[in-house]
This record gives sequence, C-alpha cells and structure tokens, in this order.
Amino acid sequence: MNRKEKIIIIDDEEVVLDSCTQILHGHNYDVSTAPDGMQGLTLVENIKPDLVFIDLKMPGIPGLEVLEQIHNQDSTIVTIVITGYATVDSAVEAMKNGAYDFLPKPFTPDEFRLITKRGLERRKLVVEAITLRREKEMLQENFAAIVSHELKSPLGAIQQNLYTLSGEIADKLTENQNTKLERMKIRIDDLIKLINSWLRVYSVDISKIKENFTANSVPALISKAIENVEPHAVRKDVRLIIGENKQLPLIECDETSLVEALVNIIGNAVKYSYAGSEVTINSIEKDGMIEILITDKGVGISEEELPYVLSDFYRGSSNKSDESSHGIGLTISRKIVEAHNGTILVTSKPSIGTTFCIRIPVMKGDG
Amino acid sequence: MTEQKRLLIIDDDPDFVEGIKSILDGAGYNVDVAYNPKTGLQALQNKSYDLLLLDIMMGRGAEGIMIARKLRKDTKLREMPVLIITGIREQMAFLFPGEPVHPRFVAVDELVEKPVEPKILLEKVSTLIETAEARQTKAG
Repeated sequence: MNRKEKIIIIDDEEVVLDSCTQILHGHNYDVSTAPDGMQGLTLVENIKPDLVFIDLKMPGIPGLEVLEQIHNQDSTIVTIVITGYATVDSAVEAMKNGAYDFLPKPFTPDEFRLITKRGLERRKLVVEAITLRREKEMLQENFAAIVSHELKSPLGAIQQNLYTLSGEIADKLTENQNTKLERMKIRIDDLIKLINSWLRVYSVDISKIKENFTANSVPALISKAIENVEPHAVRKDVRLIIGENKQLPLIECDETSLVEALVNIIGNAVKYSYAGSEVTINSIEKDGMIEILITDKGVGISEEELPYVLSDFYRGSSNKSDESSHGIGLTISRKIVEAHNGTILVTSKPSIGTTFCIRIPVMKGDG
Repeated sequence: MTEQKRLLIIDDDPDFVEGIKSILDGAGYNVDVAYNPKTGLQALQNKSYDLLLLDIMMGRGAEGIMIARKLRKDTKLREMPVLIITGIREQMAFLFPGEPVHPRFVAVDELVEKPVEPKILLEKVSTLIETAEARQTKAG
C-alpha cells in the first residue's frame, strides 16, 4: 500500500532537473530524470511512472511528440508539461495532446510541489476509475456463474423435490391438491426461465448462434413454440390460432434460439391479451423472406411507448394487465432475430391490439 | 431388472440430491452419493459403478470439470457412462474448449439441465447404461 509514487522529469536543462529533484527530496517520491526525449521514453518504459514532467522545448524529439508516445504507451500516466516560453498556445496544444496541466518557467518550489501533488492525485483517481470499471466488467462476466449458483441452484432443488414428491403421492391426492402442486411447479418453472433469460442477456453472445445454423421449417418452429406457450394460454383463456400455412420454404436458423424468440413474443401476446380473446400466428413468404405475424387483441401499446418495447430492459408501463413481465424477453427476441439477419417490427393500437412481424430470409436454394 | 445397477451421484447440493436420489431409489437402483469432488473420486476408485451422475458447479466454481477431466484420462473410468446434471448449459462449452456444447468427454455421456423431470431422468439413466453395456459387449 505504501508504494513510493514514481515521477520522471524530462528536461534538457541540468539545473532544472537538479532543482526539481531537490524540491521533491524528503517526500515519499521516487524521482528519476532524463536529459532528452529519447532517454525519457526509455525511462518511462522501464519505470512505469505515475507522473511525468516534460519540457516542451528540447533538442532531439520535440516535447509534444514525447508526450504523445508516453500516452501511447500507457494512457493512465499523468503528464505535465514544463514550458520555458509561457505562451498559451504551446500549453493549449499540449493539453490537447493529453497533458494534464502545464507549468510555466520560472516556477517556485511551492508551485512545483503543489502541481506534483495535484498530478499524483489525478493519477490515483485515474487508476481507481479503471479498477472500478474492471470490477464492474468482471462482475458482469461472472454474473452468469453467480446467478446460476446463488439463484438457480436453490430453485432447481425445490423443483426437483416437487417433481419427486408429486410423482410419489399423485395418486393419494385429490384433484384439487394435485392442481396446487402443478401450480407450484409452473411458477418455479417461470422463475427458472426468467433467470435463464437474464443469463442470456448478460453472458451470452447471441451473435455466436450463427455458427450452428441448420435448415428448419417455420411451421415446425411455431408448433414447438406453441407447445411451450399453450399451458399459459389455457390458464388465461386465450385461444391460439395458427393460420393456414401452405408449403413454405425453409430457413437457416438456430432452432433453440428462434423457438425461444417465438415463445417470448407469443407468450407476450398472450400475456397482454384479454381473457377470452385470441392470438393469431400467421406465416407467409414475401420477397425472399418468411414473415411471421403474431397478432393479439390485447391492451396494445401507446404510440409513445412503441419505439422502446424492443430496447433493453423496457417494461410496459400500462397497468391494464395484472401480469408481471420480465422486460427482457423482447430484447432477447430482437437480438436473436437480428442474429438470423432478420428484422422484427411492432405495430400497435391501444385497446385494439398489437402485431409483431418477424422477417427472416429464406434459405438459399430453397426459394 | 436382472441385477441391481449401481449409481453414484456427485453433487454438493444435498437438497437437490435428495430429489433425484429418491426417484432413482424408487426405480430400483442402488444409489451412492458423494457431496464433494474429493469423496466422489475416492468412491470411484474404490467401487465400480454402472453410471455416474455428475454435477458441474460445485464448491468454489466448476469443480465437476476437474472430475470430468480425470475420468477422461482414466482408461477404466472412461468406459463408465456419465449423466451430467447441471444448471449451466451455456457454460458447458468451457468444459473442453473448442468442442461442441455437448461434451462427449467419455465414451457415453449425456447432459440434462437441473431440475430434471423424473420420467426424463429415468429414461436417460437406463438408455446410458444400455448403450454403455452394448459397447462393452461389442468390444469384449
């Protein structure tokens, strides 16, 4: 912790180097000096200083270039320029090139100590900011592991025991009691799915799914998605109507992801539907694309909210539905569809309903 | 079932283990449990099992991977079928980098996600054991 802070002074005037070293003597600094830019840069490379003073006017490499090269080496090093001819121009130029401050010659020992102290404080802040950012990135990267273990494990254990328990006692329970068990399983399943969605957003590079594309038929994908959403729709008394789809060409896709996207969007349509209404799913071929239209007659989305429904972590503000939403399902769906070189569009009228339109290119050679 | 099959579960979550163990017990398997990788490995050295159910995320990270690597190196254990039960499918690719998500790190293995429905669990277990036995007969 009590590391000596490292300072380098680059100046061609020996008297400046000497007096500066003298001024800083007695402080807990490690001071090195160089008489020109070339040696200065070598020093910077070897010592990895916290703070560098650079004379702008030196024989050999000009001060400004030294400055630039230091920043190329390590942009967190704080640099202060010493300028013999205190013109505003050269100072401004240096600051533009990343210098933190400038010190006009001649300067008093106090001025020099003060600017050194400020420079080192600056360096500390820069380093701290970087550490914090790294920590944040690490947290984000490890989020998957943390969430898996801390949240998913207990839920998995609960669900596993429920499965086992209901298997063991199903025939001893009344229908009503069995329904309660089923309800518990469904809700825990929802939670596990929610965590999986979070994991996807935080830790999975969705563009990577491109590596596993296979040929698939859209109606088959839709049926798989429907299978998943149906129980929810039945509970809400929402009918799912699948339009007649004639022979459609195949698409290239990652089956799991695309089904997930469809589940999200159809599930969303069910979620925001009124009980007793219906959700229709149609797919057609149009201009070399397969178009999947998912239409509900639900609460709809207001014009102001419409642009945001597909963006990160948007959550519908309308309280017309008592359903909870995760706010990330649609974002993930959009990312998945885009990874398939597709687009997703939403049109909506409040109180009339919403249509999501997914377009994905037809597989080459199957048009 | 002609003879009772022996299974080993290595998983550090006793509550989860309780859940799957009673399914397997109920189906007539003889089930041993190890709650950490170390005793798990000892059990594998001391006894022979017809199938291993392996958790990946244990202890301070993915300690199950350590077991997976050891199994792969062991000529005898390599022949034992393994059912990986994990909460983290997406990270499985790190198990053996550069290989597909499904690991195939021993001759016969399969992966299911926690929690697993009893029917699926029993199907996977019996299929894996049969596949491994068929392999043995063919080779033997």
